[in-house]
Amino acid sequence: MSNTNISFKDMLVKGALIFNPVLIQLVGLCPVVAASTTLAGSVALSVALFVELTATCVIASALFKKVPRWVRVPLYLIIGLALICPILWYIETKTLINISLGMKIYIPLIAINSVTAVHCEQFAVKNSVRHAFYDAAAVSIGASAVMLIVGATREIFGSGSLAGVKLELPVIFKGMAMPFGCLILLGFMAAGLKAFLNYRYLGEDEAEPDDIQEAEKILDSGVEEVEIFDEFWSEQTEEEQPEPEEKAQPETKEEIRDSANEDIEDFFRSIGIDYYEKGDEQ
Amino acid sequence: MANNAAKQNTVRSSRIFGDYLIMIAAPCLVAVWYYGAQFVSVAATGVLTALICDFAAKAILGKTFHLRDFSNIFIGLAIAVMLPAGIPLYVPAAAAAFAVLAVKIPFGGALHAPFVPAAAGFAFISVCFKELIFDYNVASETKLFGAQSLGSMLSKGQSVYISAANVFDIIAGNVAGPMGTGCGILMLACCVYLFVRRKTALLATLGFVAACAVCAIVSPRINASAFTSVVLELSAGSLMFAGVFLLTDYATLPHNGINRVIYGAVCGVICMGMRKMGVFEEPVCFAILLANGFRPVLDSAFKALSSVSFKRKEAAEK
Repeated sequence: MSNTNISFKDMLVKGALIFNPVLIQLVGLCPVVAASTTLAGSVALSVALFVELTATCVIASALFKKVPRWVRVPLYLIIGLALICPILWYIETKTLINISLGMKIYIPLIAINSVTAVHCEQFAVKNSVRHAFYDAAAVSIGASAVMLIVGATREIFGSGSLAGVKLELPVIFKGMAMPFGCLILLGFMAAGLKAFLNYRYLGEDEAEPDDIQEAEKILDSGVEEVEIFDEFWSEQTEEEQPEPEEKAQPETKEEIRDSANEDIEDFFRSIGIDYYEKGDEQ
Repeated sequence: MANNAAKQNTVRSSRIFGDYLIMIAAPCLVAVWYYGAQFVSVAATGVLTALICDFAAKAILGKTFHLRDFSNIFIGLAIAVMLPAGIPLYVPAAAAAFAVLAVKIPFGGALHAPFVPAAAGFAFISVCFKELIFDYNVASETKLFGAQSLGSMLSKGQSVYISAANVFDIIAGNVAGPMGTGCGILMLACCVYLFVRRKTALLATLGFVAACAVCAIVSPRINASAFTSVVLELSAGSLMFAGVFLLTDYATLPHNGINRVIYGAVCGVICMGMRKMGVFEEPVCFAILLANGFRPVLDSAFKALSSVSFKRKEAAEK
């Protein structure tokens, strides 16, 4: 199933850098945007994510391999919620960090976040407990690094302080403490990371197909990788893309009418509306 | 090939933003007339910041910086004319830097940005420095209603009796407000210039002004006649300026004429709704940014509908 020679370092590079959950996969953005307004909040969020993700992945890898998929996914979320509530309660009552005021309704979203679901379902249940732990830890470290940078930056520029210590800044940008400030910051960080990855692993600004295959070989250290990750490396260049099948020109009146209806359906689908009501297709 | 494309882009950009620079010269002159050196320093800060940010970003990205890309100058000036007198210079600098670094550069230039950079810059500083942006106390002694702007009067429900004595001051921009956007007569002149240069772009302005006027009549903020409500709403803040200069932005306009009218009308309705219910005295830049989001939907709807009507016509012919 999985390659036993894979080291934590490889998993760390892969999980934290190349497939960074926040910047590359763009999963679990909601708690990051909503709750990482200060450094203290980011630390609390990172701790909660680390404990929740590693525990859920380890449990999933150890116990859920034989459980049907439709049962597994709700179980991850229940385990996540069962873990996150005591952790947050502990952080809030035993430390001086008051995070729930800043997080409000986002606390359940931290527990039921897509990072947990994706990594449990796509990786943990298909690999050994050790690799599941490595993957969860690497992903948590990657997400935590982003959260800490975002939290510190937002606190400095949005509130004029760092870890509660007032800094004598001439200007404070309140917008940085708001969600749009975080999203813009994440956008720049994602662009920076992508540029770094291209430079570091592909050696060029634009990835050539051969380089991608080469990089795949280097990076694919034997662990059965998940489908969602494969999409990242299977970017095809224009030359590689299969020729689009030429649509047969509609000839009869009915065909032309059908083709027009398809155009309407495509449009509605593009804006997220199901054109047909239930039962219409019959 | 790439060089040629870049050259063509620069030429197109210089032509489009050259027109805007000619147009914006008029509000700038009015601002200099009313506020003198205060406006000059704000405008210079905005323009210089935009140029420096563009130069630095292009240097980092390894792209060529073109002085003939007038979009930076336009961004700096457009932000400056929408600001009040006496604003600290870091505010226009922050707005211009945001417009260039967060909106213009990441999307490949002013001709490709999905949002109007100047509107985004102004929206950013409206959020960050709300108290400074709508403070019109400086140099307001000679103004018609003192330090009270039309926008703040309307938001408080205070009406003004429009007579021959004050109507010229109102439409000439001699009221407290943004430095260069209050002069309605000049905005009309700019519309005429835009009509000569880019006729169809004005359709968006038309839809915008019509929607704002209808909203002012249907749902007035003051207890006054429909005419008074429309004149005051259109003269307040940067509404007309945004309708002529920002809404007609080349990159964000829909491709089709009727879509441009709808786009402008959507923006007008959002703007008037935000004026009535929002927290900002002048939310027109937020309305434009929201309307920018509707543009792709409008374009794809028109494409689908035109394709359908063409195919149905073809079917009928067969």
